[in-house]
Amino acid sequence: MIEKVRRGKSEELTLVIITVGAVAAMSLFLPDKFLTLTNFQSMASQFPEYGLLALGIMLTMITGGIDLSVVSIANLSGVAGAMVLASHTKALALGLSPATIIFLAILAALAVGAICGFINGFVITAVGVPAIIATLGTNGLFMGVAIILTEGHGIRGFPEEFLFIGSGTILHLPMPLIIFVLVASMVALMLRKSSQGFKMYMLGSSPLAARFSGINNNKVLIKTYLLSGLLAGIAAIIIISRVNSMRPGYGYAYLLLGVLIAILGGTNPDGGRGGVLGLSMAIVILQVLQSGLNILSFSPFLKKFIWGLILILVMVITYFQTYTWSGRRLIQNSLKTGAS
Amino acid sequence: MIAKLLRRNETYLFFVIMAFSLVVTMINPTFLTVENMFDLVKSSSGMAILAVGFFVGLLAGGIDISFPAIAIAGQYIAVNTLIALGVDNLLLAFVLSCAVGTAMGAINAFFISAFRMPALIVTLGTSNIFHGALLVFVGTRAINTGQLPDCFKAFGHMHVLTLTRADGTTYGLSVFAVVLLGIIVVTWFLLKHTLLGKSIYAVGGSYESSKRAGFSINRTLFFVYSYIGFLSGIMGVMHLSLIRYSNPNYIVDTELLKVIAAVVIGGSKITGGSGTLVGTLLGVVMMVILEKNLVLIGLSSYWHQFFTGLIIVLGVSITHYQSKLQSKKSLSFAD
Repeated sequence: MIEKVRRGKSEELTLVIITVGAVAAMSLFLPDKFLTLTNFQSMASQFPEYGLLALGIMLTMITGGIDLSVVSIANLSGVAGAMVLASHTKALALGLSPATIIFLAILAALAVGAICGFINGFVITAVGVPAIIATLGTNGLFMGVAIILTEGHGIRGFPEEFLFIGSGTILHLPMPLIIFVLVASMVALMLRKSSQGFKMYMLGSSPLAARFSGINNNKVLIKTYLLSGLLAGIAAIIIISRVNSMRPGYGYAYLLLGVLIAILGGTNPDGGRGGVLGLSMAIVILQVLQSGLNILSFSPFLKKFIWGLILILVMVITYFQTYTWSGRRLIQNSLKTGAS
Repeated sequence: MIAKLLRRNETYLFFVIMAFSLVVTMINPTFLTVENMFDLVKSSSGMAILAVGFFVGLLAGGIDISFPAIAIAGQYIAVNTLIALGVDNLLLAFVLSCAVGTAMGAINAFFISAFRMPALIVTLGTSNIFHGALLVFVGTRAINTGQLPDCFKAFGHMHVLTLTRADGTTYGLSVFAVVLLGIIVVTWFLLKHTLLGKSIYAVGGSYESSKRAGFSINRTLFFVYSYIGFLSGIMGVMHLSLIRYSNPNYIVDTELLKVIAAVVIGGSKITGGSGTLVGTLLGVVMMVILEKNLVLIGLSSYWHQFFTGLIIVLGVSITHYQSKLQSKKSLSFAD
């Protein structure tokens, strides 16, 4: 146990060093473009979307599963919220205030996110389908519903006041950043202090041991996937407010980015390890990199290539960190004999 | 014999397909004609080949989602080389595309076997690497019909069996059917009658026990993922010959879900080690019939993705619910 904690600490230290290094490199080489208030503001309003999705993926990875449907849930929640918002002229005629409509839209997006998450949890626990394939299927299902609802068209025409969530600032701090920090702190608190968080780590380390120590695994899992769906719903609210429209299919690349962030942040895809602090640093690293690539006007294809490369690289590095020298020799020996 | 058949997933799937075809034929009599069947075989043989590849990967316990990227890479590199060299040779195209595919599959295999990473996460990364590299280093320009070497067009039109309609015009069974049949036979032989096939089932069932039984996990995984890459390479050239247009930006995400859905309703277990080739092929037939006839039932094409997702969820639910019931019977604590 002590061993594990120590390793976790050193991993977070590595992340801190990379983060500082990335920011320093950007500031040194591109001071006039990187070190500006506008650039920081634009970075801070970009990352919360996929940061929230990555949070959901991380939670499910801690329990030893994965949620591949987060982008689709965000799309469907976004469509639900956008449909409520787009009817605002009619609703105003009925005497509803803009605030009520916005409140209803947020409620709709969150509710849809939670329902989708619950469906994931239900399929995984009640039927016993591995999370990876269950969420791959629901990924198509939720996106399909979003496409059916909109018939592939975008939804436009939101009340002015709603756009504040995505593009407004308080004391120069963009609203998406504030929302992300609040939500991430709540998730961190849940993981560290609540019994749900403790049970999630237990379940991820060993489902069998968790079960024998009296944990209701199914209940914990359903709550986890529900939370992941809810986080996607929050991401959806930010997305529709920032883009000022909703079209199904938005953010397809966010799945790769979300998985990448979760793993870069020290989450173990086999379960039992991961935290908000590491995740946040991973987000900063990637957003700084992304901003740098944008300033250097790299093509989106090259970015795609780089994200994929980083994902594989991080996995390889984690592999070597996990298996220390003695462990590595053991593996090499067994590789020679043709076994794992 | 009958009791044995009734216990199999494939039997039920077969009857569902029969019933569905019957209903469709009643609404649309042109559905169950030889000509339409030939047409369906031609347009869906590419998907069937991908499904065979995905099925083999699943047997070995891994979910490979990089095959759409590999197929497009093999296709685009092959057609560009042919144009650059000024050669008009179909065989060279196949060799190039399959070589690219096999190499990419081998890269997947390296990461999956050497570092024991989950195949899904590795292939999520590599599919982005392959597709990104293709667009950055090879090009982004689409090849249209006019620029396409003639061998592809000829391949797309080649028939192995020609029949004559009542009015004197002819139609035929595409050569694609032969390619598909060849792949099915080879894969069937590999799985049923070679040690390699047994090792694929064994590795998918359990790493630990297959290791103790003396199978080489690394060699097996290497073969499996290279084979998926190889099949994707073949599919790339066939797809090009079918639509006579190559667009490297077009990456087939919907194709990915359809293939997975087909394999999953074919009864293959997603955790590996169990599933049959017949089931996979029936799954492909089911998906193709469903897709072509959604419009007939009065649903627009917007419903495609919804149904594909629904089929995946229902398919895996049924397969895993059955095994859950069985494990309850055998008093297992670890479910």
